Amino acid sequence: MRDPESATITVERPADFDEFWADTFAGLPDPAPELTRVPHLSDDRVDTFDLRFTSYQGVRIAAWFCVPRDAQGPLPGILNIPGYISEPMPPRGFAERGYAALAIAPRGKLRSNEVFNPGYPGLLTHDIADHYTYGYRGFYVDTVRALDVLAGLPGVDPDRLGVQGSSQGGGLGVVTAALRPELVKAVACGAPYLCGIRECVGLTRSYPYEEITEYLHVHPSHAEDVWRTVAYYDGLNFAPAVRAPILIYLGLRDDVCPPESGLALHRALSGPKELHTFPNSGHHAGLHWIFPKVEAFLDQHLEPLS
Amino acid sequence: MSAFDEYWAGVDKDLARFPARPVLTPARARSTGPFTCYDVRLSGIEGHRIFGFLSIPDGDGPFPAVLEVPRYGSVNQPPHYRERLRYVVFSLMHRGQRLADSPFRAHYPGLFTLGIESPATYVYRAIVADCLRGAEFLFSRPEVDPARVGVTGDDLAVLTAARRPGFAAVRTSGPIEGAPELDDHLRAYPDSAAASTLAFFDSALHERSITAPVLRVGRDYDLTHEDATDDTALDAWLAERLGVRAMTRFDAR
Repeated sequence: MRDPESATITVERPADFDEFWADTFAGLPDPAPELTRVPHLSDDRVDTFDLRFTSYQGVRIAAWFCVPRDAQGPLPGILNIPGYISEPMPPRGFAERGYAALAIAPRGKLRSNEVFNPGYPGLLTHDIADHYTYGYRGFYVDTVRALDVLAGLPGVDPDRLGVQGSSQGGGLGVVTAALRPELVKAVACGAPYLCGIRECVGLTRSYPYEEITEYLHVHPSHAEDVWRTVAYYDGLNFAPAVRAPILIYLGLRDDVCPPESGLALHRALSGPKELHTFPNSGHHAGLHWIFPKVEAFLDQHLEPLS
Repeated sequence: MSAFDEYWAGVDKDLARFPARPVLTPARARSTGPFTCYDVRLSGIEGHRIFGFLSIPDGDGPFPAVLEVPRYGSVNQPPHYRERLRYVVFSLMHRGQRLADSPFRAHYPGLFTLGIESPATYVYRAIVADCLRGAEFLFSRPEVDPARVGVTGDDLAVLTAARRPGFAAVRTSGPIEGAPELDDHLRAYPDSAAASTLAFFDSALHERSITAPVLRVGRDYDLTHEDATDDTALDAWLAERLGVRAMTRFDAR
């Protein structure tokens, strides 16, 4: 019988981890953001824009950007990061609550997959044998770059930025907060994916981690290359650099992102942190009950217009 | 014949004009347990090639089977390991979704109201036909016990079972998740004929012709919102009707 709360997950941190990510972000092109209002996705309360910007390797990335209509004064910004198989929808709910909200479609998602399209299943193992070429490298950069773009958009207060998401959105929220500690002021992180990756592959038969099981089924000799690569992308190796307050919520019967890994993330964080666990929840991680707390947590730290 | 019956008879007639011509390609990567997996490509109406993940348990069949109709979204995962252990599983991508997106690629948001001005042009006419084609393919497999075939998903499962009798159990999570897009459409086009189009896709009307047991979340099962608990209950309902053991995802290893 599994006892997630007594399990321990550790991840070896590559010696050149910081250098690798510094090199990744060095020399990024000008994001050159372009905003185009989308009338049929706007209404009397919220304006919705199609946002495009340039990211790693010159790839043009799409996002939705929503703001409350006729808002006065600079708004706090919130970055919504999508799950593995979900497509970002215009984040109108956050805009209605007084945020400038950006929902990013990193490379490979619809609207951002013209030149990079590993498919689903596929993203998790795309060029995984080499940490320099791994498909997630650009995907991680796109997400962080979206925060940089959000900080520079007109009407956005760069001193009141948060990130939120669940699953892949939770894991990449941690990555973004670690790589932009000066910008991120709050993180809401549900059922985080991409934490303790190697251990998770052995803990579950659910996708997306199952993609690595399948990859190694065909390429068993690549195992050490795979484990070396994913260590550079593991949220547990980013966690110590997170400075912003973080709210984590977990289902203790999550088959997709094993709870052992979310609990390990909580332990690896050294800043202000808040943990909510739900014994009979799976990958939804108590969303039915936790979302009001997520909203209150973000409001407390980011102070949206009422 | 009512307009409703005439419309759906027309869908069947159109679909029959296009033989499925399935091509199965072994998927060694996904054959990670006591089952063999295939990528399946087959034809739907208008000659559009659709896609499915097929998994067949090892051993002597015939086996109980499950058709997983597509969710609302671009991506559908391959069938879960615990399903592959117990059933022949066919997980379908309808036209426009990943792996079935050439030459037509669905947009999200956007798909739910595409062509909704008329039942003849509504994209879900062809999407339902894709699901019917998936049902025909699954029932045609020699490994399948035709008396123990279930269908799961959202209300596309109801429409599929209504149009293709033979399913032993139908489990639906409820309506296709298109309500916000319909709101956007009606705001932009207040005089839209969407309501009359959607009447042809009303799951309650379709369900009347289903003789198999139907479990509808929200009507026959109230979610606890503890999704592991809900998943266990919903899995057990289908397992009992198809004669296999219940299994939780969390413990399936």
